[in-house]
Amino acid sequence: MKVTIHTSLMALAILLLPGVMRAQDVLIVVSRTSSISEISEAQLREIFTGTRSHFNNGTRAFPVLLKGGPVHEVFLRRHIGDTPDEYRVRWRRAVFTGQGSMPKEFASEAAMLDFIAATPGAIGYVSRIPDPDAIKIVIISGR
Amino acid sequence: MFRCRRLLLVILALCASPLFAQDLENLQIHGFATQGFLFTSNNNYLTMKSSSGSLQWTEGALNMTDPLSDHLRVGMQLHMYQMGELGGPNVLIDWALGDYKISDQLGFRAGKVKVPLGLFNDSQDVDSLFVWILPPQGCYQVDNRDFNLALLGGEVYGELDLGRKGSVGYRGYLGENRLDENGGYMLQLYSYGFTFPTPPSGRIFGGDLRWNTPWKPLTVGSSLQYQSLDGEGTEGNVHLPPAFLQTYYAQWSKGRLELSAEYWRAQMTPMLLTEGLTMQITYDQRSWYPMVTYQLTKKLHLGTYYSHYVNQAADTSDPQNYAKDWAVSGRYNFNSNIYGKIEGHFLHGTGLGYYAQQNPDGLKPDTRMLAARIGFAF
Repeated sequence: MKVTIHTSLMALAILLLPGVMRAQDVLIVVSRTSSISEISEAQLREIFTGTRSHFNNGTRAFPVLLKGGPVHEVFLRRHIGDTPDEYRVRWRRAVFTGQGSMPKEFASEAAMLDFIAATPGAIGYVSRIPDPDAIKIVIISGR
Repeated sequence: MFRCRRLLLVILALCASPLFAQDLENLQIHGFATQGFLFTSNNNYLTMKSSSGSLQWTEGALNMTDPLSDHLRVGMQLHMYQMGELGGPNVLIDWALGDYKISDQLGFRAGKVKVPLGLFNDSQDVDSLFVWILPPQGCYQVDNRDFNLALLGGEVYGELDLGRKGSVGYRGYLGENRLDENGGYMLQLYSYGFTFPTPPSGRIFGGDLRWNTPWKPLTVGSSLQYQSLDGEGTEGNVHLPPAFLQTYYAQWSKGRLELSAEYWRAQMTPMLLTEGLTMQITYDQRSWYPMVTYQLTKKLHLGTYYSHYVNQAADTSDPQNYAKDWAVSGRYNFNSNIYGKIEGHFLHGTGLGYYAQQNPDGLKPDTRMLAARIGFAF
């Protein structure tokens, strides 16, 4: 019986583990129609902190955000180097001094993906892509 | 002045027409509100009856911005503050501008734009951004901040990529600003018996260069500014020949730790002119501070700074010519919108923040202060 319980727990853990790992994976995505397929880590950071407004090919970049959650936190920590609080303060500084507007925020990955699919230049981050026909993953270079 | 106002109206009118023509999907509205409390051991500070404990410090702001096109953005922020006898219930335009960004390297703003000066001048009235309640008063005097916060005119700005050498952000501005009718400088002029039909105003120009060094967390920079001022009062005139202000700053942040330091020097000779009498006061104000903030937990931030101010052109041993302040701050974020702060100050010298009207029995050189503030921002 003990063996059965242990085996079941291990199986459950193995089943859950990929879910946890998926939640911590962050994919940088743009519309399938976008000509962007690769971006450097520095450029990604500049776009999401508002110091760069265009991709290398001259296309206007529209960064979009999730309102919160683990994917949002992992993206900020890994690619921007900020906590959610630090990132909010960074943008509030721009917003309240008249120097910038906050990136658009979405409550869910599905809503963000719908927007990205329909908006040339939009760039965001998700944990998975349900519809590869509308969205493509951007490769991060220079890591 | 009237030309500047007309310019502002024209800019707003031009920007407002396409605003109504398009849908408001991209319109952003943000705001904040704060309530402060001060309690001092001696002396009444910042025009509040702080020695008895004062809640007379309320601030709020509301802004709207809308990107009208890929290059053009318009926005406006309304602001009100009441701090003791300063400010009042009137809602003022904090900034109102059209922002035309040709590229990341070159953009223009026109209207009422915030003045870049040192690390925090343009953001010093946005409490939610900071760990501390009062910024270092040697550089950022809260009772006089509205004078230098924004100007009517224009600004050119941009960010230049230096490759391996990092990047440089630049801002240059030219315009006109005027004393805040309900600010500290006007209160001082009233105390000398001067009244003005319109607050004194003058030309202002300057710039800020900020180098984001290749040693990533380190930013260094400098701001320079020229400012003149003239006002025709009922009892006499005030005249400030072009005054020169220079600041040098550095900021280093990595992980949970942030270090900042600034040095300011302002040389000016304001004159009060009455019939048959000219009073001239020479200032050589030197201010500096080092500051540390640390994020202890996800919600709790701690910080400390030492602020030093001295008027080198006067007797530097006289407490009224210097102000030294050691502050210890704590900030707790209840959630992403609501926060609370508490701060202790050990003040020495009476060169800044004290007014004769609120201290009729004179000033003691040392003051201890406890400050608290709660705020909401969205």
